[in-house]
Amino acid sequence: MPRARALSALDINFIGTAIAITAIGCMLIYSATYFTDPSLNLLLKQVLWIAIGIALMLLFMLVDYHVFFEIAPVLYGIGNVLLVYLLIWGKVTAHVKSWIHIGSFQFQPSEFMKIFTALMLARYFDRQESAYMNTRSFLRAMAIIALPVGLIIVEPDFGTAATFFPLVAVAMFFGGIRWKVWVVAAIVLVIALPVGWTLLHQYQKDRVITFLNPDRDPKIAIGSGGIHGKGFRQGTQAKLEYLPARHTDFIFAVLGEEWGFIGVMIVLGLYLFLIIQALNFARNARDRGGTFLAICLISFFIFHVLINVSMQIGILPTTGIPLPLISYGGSSTMMFLIAIGLMANVDMRRFGHV
Amino acid sequence: MRVYRDDQKFLTFRINALLWAIVAIFVFLAGSFWFVQGVQAEKYRNLSDANALRPVAMPAKRGLILDREGKKILADNQPAYSLTLDRVVMRPIVKSDKTHRGKLVSFLATSLGTTPQDIEARFEKGKVIPFARPIPVAEDLTMSQVASIQAESLSFPELNVEPVQRRNYPYGTLASHAIGFIGEVSERDLIQHKELKPGDLIGKRGVELMYDEYLRGKDGTQFWEYDSHGRRLAEVRTARQDPVAGSNVYLTVDFDLQRRAEQYFVENEFVGAVVALDPRNGEVLAMVSSPEFNPNVFSKRFTPDTWKVISSNPFKTELNRAIQGLYSPGSVFKTTMAVAGLAEGAIGPGTTFDCPGSAVFFGRRFRDWRRQGHGVVSVTTALKVSCDIFFYNVGARLGVDKISEWAHNLGFGEISKIDLDGEKAGIVPSTEWAAKKQHRKWYPSETISVAIGQGPLIVTPLQTAVMMATIANGGTIYRPHVVRMIERQKPDGSMERLQVASEVLRKVRIPDTAWKTVTNGLWKVVNEEGGTGGNARVAGLDIAGKTGTAQVIAQSGWFSTAGLPFMQRDHAWFVSYAEKENPQMVVAVFVEHAGQHGGTDAAPLAKLLYESRFKGQIENAALDLNNPDTLEAIREGKLPVPGQEKKAPPAPANSNFGH
Repeated sequence: MPRARALSALDINFIGTAIAITAIGCMLIYSATYFTDPSLNLLLKQVLWIAIGIALMLLFMLVDYHVFFEIAPVLYGIGNVLLVYLLIWGKVTAHVKSWIHIGSFQFQPSEFMKIFTALMLARYFDRQESAYMNTRSFLRAMAIIALPVGLIIVEPDFGTAATFFPLVAVAMFFGGIRWKVWVVAAIVLVIALPVGWTLLHQYQKDRVITFLNPDRDPKIAIGSGGIHGKGFRQGTQAKLEYLPARHTDFIFAVLGEEWGFIGVMIVLGLYLFLIIQALNFARNARDRGGTFLAICLISFFIFHVLINVSMQIGILPTTGIPLPLISYGGSSTMMFLIAIGLMANVDMRRFGHV
Repeated sequence: MRVYRDDQKFLTFRINALLWAIVAIFVFLAGSFWFVQGVQAEKYRNLSDANALRPVAMPAKRGLILDREGKKILADNQPAYSLTLDRVVMRPIVKSDKTHRGKLVSFLATSLGTTPQDIEARFEKGKVIPFARPIPVAEDLTMSQVASIQAESLSFPELNVEPVQRRNYPYGTLASHAIGFIGEVSERDLIQHKELKPGDLIGKRGVELMYDEYLRGKDGTQFWEYDSHGRRLAEVRTARQDPVAGSNVYLTVDFDLQRRAEQYFVENEFVGAVVALDPRNGEVLAMVSSPEFNPNVFSKRFTPDTWKVISSNPFKTELNRAIQGLYSPGSVFKTTMAVAGLAEGAIGPGTTFDCPGSAVFFGRRFRDWRRQGHGVVSVTTALKVSCDIFFYNVGARLGVDKISEWAHNLGFGEISKIDLDGEKAGIVPSTEWAAKKQHRKWYPSETISVAIGQGPLIVTPLQTAVMMATIANGGTIYRPHVVRMIERQKPDGSMERLQVASEVLRKVRIPDTAWKTVTNGLWKVVNEEGGTGGNARVAGLDIAGKTGTAQVIAQSGWFSTAGLPFMQRDHAWFVSYAEKENPQMVVAVFVEHAGQHGGTDAAPLAKLLYESRFKGQIENAALDLNNPDTLEAIREGKLPVPGQEKKAPPAPANSNFGH
């Protein structure tokens, strides 16, 4: 249990940055939905999820992360069981069995599985003796990721499965693999990706990459915002429903239209600040486990932010990747808040066990 | 708790590498956003407006066409309902519901009372209109049609019933050839007028065509916000461009004269033309071409066969006979001959010829219209009785080229430059014309026919009026015009009136004695016993004029053509002006295939028009009750009773030959 010393080491800036991003997210969701959803149901739901998320964040922050390492196999096991449960009894929603319905609420176990897999992977690296992995230990690390990813692919939710990719990258880049393994991994990737792609159904491909109607290009919304933006609630492209998925995947375009280049820079700056702090946490962590946990979790942020922001202005093709802490969505928001809590946890305990 | 130095260094290095890579990517992203939001902002702002804002045309009100006093409105705009189809709204509906288009077509066919093929044809016709603009489907909806279409507005949101202004001609056929009509722009119009769009309306004939740029005005635009489902949300008021109403056009046409002339043609079932000109400025006071058409039928879009019906009429309704009809002037041309002969010195005021009823010129025998002849006649008498032999002699003395020169001087053989479309120039023959156009030699005997207005010589009724106006005013050729004034709204809202200035095309030098002799002769035509134009005589008014009967078929004897089939009957002319000393109006009356002489069929109308035009003057003359002679004349029925409407005396059969 935390003591005063650990609390005093808490980085308020980090938590504050994350909360600021969620607050901006709420304003943007309001801008994107108030005209189609005048009772503000979506916004209130999001606020509720943020509240639950913050509670979970505090829980995952205050309990020593080593405790989570200890129970990681249990959480990881429960997560996999839920995924199997879904496969057998899950309801198909939009071609995919990825939602668990509890009353009127539903959540995606695969989102939480990201946290559990990250914990499991960090725990694995914590117990590694050497800075470099041999093929065998690399394959073991891959197996930890492969189990839930495999289950999610069978659901079949390729979009979510793809978001586990940062863990693979972290394992390869920070796990210390030898060049032979790099070569083999690269060859496997080069062969597997196109083959796998051709095996997909069209609707599955559509889930990964969507081609936009040119007059619904989010670039129009962003570009028309100019430097200063059209002002809060003044965006026309979102309001007139030219912008698709405007409260989820393309919420950044609402930002670009209403708050302009200045708003975009502020939000990108907040994300960059968050990432830099998280990487500092990783660097300063008192053990390998803490370092890897922080890197694994921030890698999700980096992956989501870069892909989501790049697709807004057409640098990358459109994919269904939400913007962390801003896009509407309960499971995703809660997952990212838990990740924030765990990263703060690593930072708080950089001076050792208390 | 296992911390390895190697391991720590390795991780720190890679974390830093990742950090700087991410910073680099963020800088790249910031640059990309700067490019989109800073550099290209204008482009995307326009695209954004185009996405959200759609222009909705606000048609400008077409200007009115009024009579010369502005008291009678000859063309206005009537509120009507049009049905349009918005393809922008229709596209997504058809995409999600394949049966929608079929349902729409059958619904429209049922509610408009037409066939599905017709509806498809209307859709097809609308394809030239830019996609964002609605296409017209039907016009002049009845109230029950409006109701039935609006009842289904939820099923067919792409249909819009729009209040529009339809061109309306309250007096129907009145002055229809001068006013013209409007219609949808043709491809040629679109090339000529860049500001027009397919589906717009434009003047097609007459004043509607010639003054289209004034009448049309400038369409305005409203900008409406549309959402991506095609729903109209709200108008952006600040972006609105108000339409500019078209200018009102005041014709020179006198409503009463015009109507009176038209009634005369309708009552007598005549085909022909009338032109009344003001010889002091070229204003057209009346212009009739009979039969007339009703321009209202052209204001409707979906009657493609209307023009066919009209143009297949054997009486050539579409032809504006006053400016497009080409006819032999007959004896009317003797006026020109008299001026030419006197001016060129071929004859003098006292020169006489004997008229025995026929004479030989260049080896051919030419007949006078009067078998027994006119005896010895001077030029004034020759004009009065329309002696042919006299003018044969004048023609033989002048030769065809001098005749041609004077015909051109007085406005024949060339367009008068009236402000109407399609005017014809006619033909004035000469030796040069024969060589150039006919590739033959001119025979002197042909000159004899031309001397009495026959042969290859053909003219329009307007040209005869211009000739008479030029003689009446002593030699000034004005450009005839049918528009007197344009009334337009200035940007500040006040009205501005632009008068159409009278334009002198040229002056013709007519020697004074020639002028006096000819006008004297023309006066005798109407006012002396035995004159051919006696039917036009109005007491108290000095009318001068010349009758004419133009042969349509070659005649080998003396007989009337009244009993012949319509197309073989003679044309009747009467071209005149009043008053002799103070000319204010020229009237040229032409009755096609009348069969009777000009003095019989044409002169009475001139009389009616003069009575109308000089009403006040005639009444005043009649009201000179201090003069015992006037009272005596009224008592004897020689003068009209003041205030009583006069009728043209019935044409006396065979008693008063007119030429």
